[in-house]
Amino acid sequence: MKIVVDENKCSSLGMCESVAPEHFEVGDNGELQISQPTPPDGDRALVEEAVAACPTAALRIEE
Amino acid sequence: MTKRHADFLSGEGIVMESMPQELLDAAQGFIAMDPPRHTKVRRLLSSAFTPKQISRINDQIRANAKRVVDDIAGKGEVDFVSEVSALLPMHNIFDMMGVPEQVRRRAAYEAQFAGGWNDPELMGDQEVLPRLFEAMGYLREVAGDLIEKRRANPGSDLLTSLVQAEVDGERLSDDDIISFFGLLTVAGNDTTRQSTSHAMKALTDFPDQRVWLMEDFESRIKGAVEEMVRWATPIMTFRRTAARDCELNGQQITEGDKVVMFYASANWDTDVFTEPEKFDLARHPNPHVSFGGGGIHHCLGNQLARQQLAALWRELLHRLPDIEVCGEPSYTVSTFFHGVNHLPVKFTPAS
Repeated sequence: MKIVVDENKCSSLGMCESVAPEHFEVGDNGELQISQPTPPDGDRALVEEAVAACPTAALRIEE
Repeated sequence: MTKRHADFLSGEGIVMESMPQELLDAAQGFIAMDPPRHTKVRRLLSSAFTPKQISRINDQIRANAKRVVDDIAGKGEVDFVSEVSALLPMHNIFDMMGVPEQVRRRAAYEAQFAGGWNDPELMGDQEVLPRLFEAMGYLREVAGDLIEKRRANPGSDLLTSLVQAEVDGERLSDDDIISFFGLLTVAGNDTTRQSTSHAMKALTDFPDQRVWLMEDFESRIKGAVEEMVRWATPIMTFRRTAARDCELNGQQITEGDKVVMFYASANWDTDVFTEPEKFDLARHPNPHVSFGGGGIHHCLGNQLARQQLAALWRELLHRLPDIEVCGEPSYTVSTFFHGVNHLPVKFTPAS
């Protein structure tokens, strides 16, 4: 799976980071850093939760 | 509905009641804006509220929680609202904003009128609009004074960021900065205080939940805070105005209609929550909407609120473990804030 961010929709709120800080970090400049764009399958549930937590639907998973 | 910001606008006001445009402009900031301006303006402040930035000020948040508990520890009996709930978020948001100590209490007090216009205790026999303008006038004075000071001597606080910020190559006007000051003052004070007060009552009414929490505080507090925020639903309603004729869940909406979201109802939805009438600190998942139903206006301060609540309950429940409500609460009459005006509590004094 691949995590994709739509930077136009990302508002740097950081809900993703609060769910899965090992995978998502909102930098001081407001930009989202995804630590593993293709995370291991074992992390799927956590990544899906983080993606669902984004209030502006800026994140999606591509298979 | 909150995800459809082009269909349902915030620019006409976000409370149920209609308000004079002057008041709307003066104190709502970006909560009552729509894109494109909303996006640019909110972005000016969003870096101050990220999880990373909030974790940087965690020491300060913990210190403020400790200070609040220090001040009541020897007393044995207090009004939880005025001596705990109201003070904790006041210190935290005003620390972030750079508001000096000597104006904090009055500014926090005046902020209450932003949602308290229906409350008999707060209003007394004052008329609504004049009193709202007076509150706005006071906050404007405080903000104006600080803006001048920060222009002359920049600091590292939010007000300095606003004074130095540019949108589309232009500095923000004083009126803009003052309206953001108003928004942050209200949003930072009058929300977290409600969660704190309602949680204190719930921890008293559901003693088994307190026992459960204390068995393993550090791993249980994160989820517990979510349940406290669901239970409290600090803001009960927000409003949007339909930009065009459209449909919402099969219901026809007409352009210009006010459409109101009832968050307390959503947080008690039996289709979503099992036994929502139970205060269940282990509740998981907990898809409450107290920070919003999704969309571009999702609560900017959500991390700050969560960290404050965790810090306070850590301090309070470990140092004053038998603290409990010992009288009837008095609730705020409001269409907006699910507020508590007074909450008598007692505890064994400690140092």
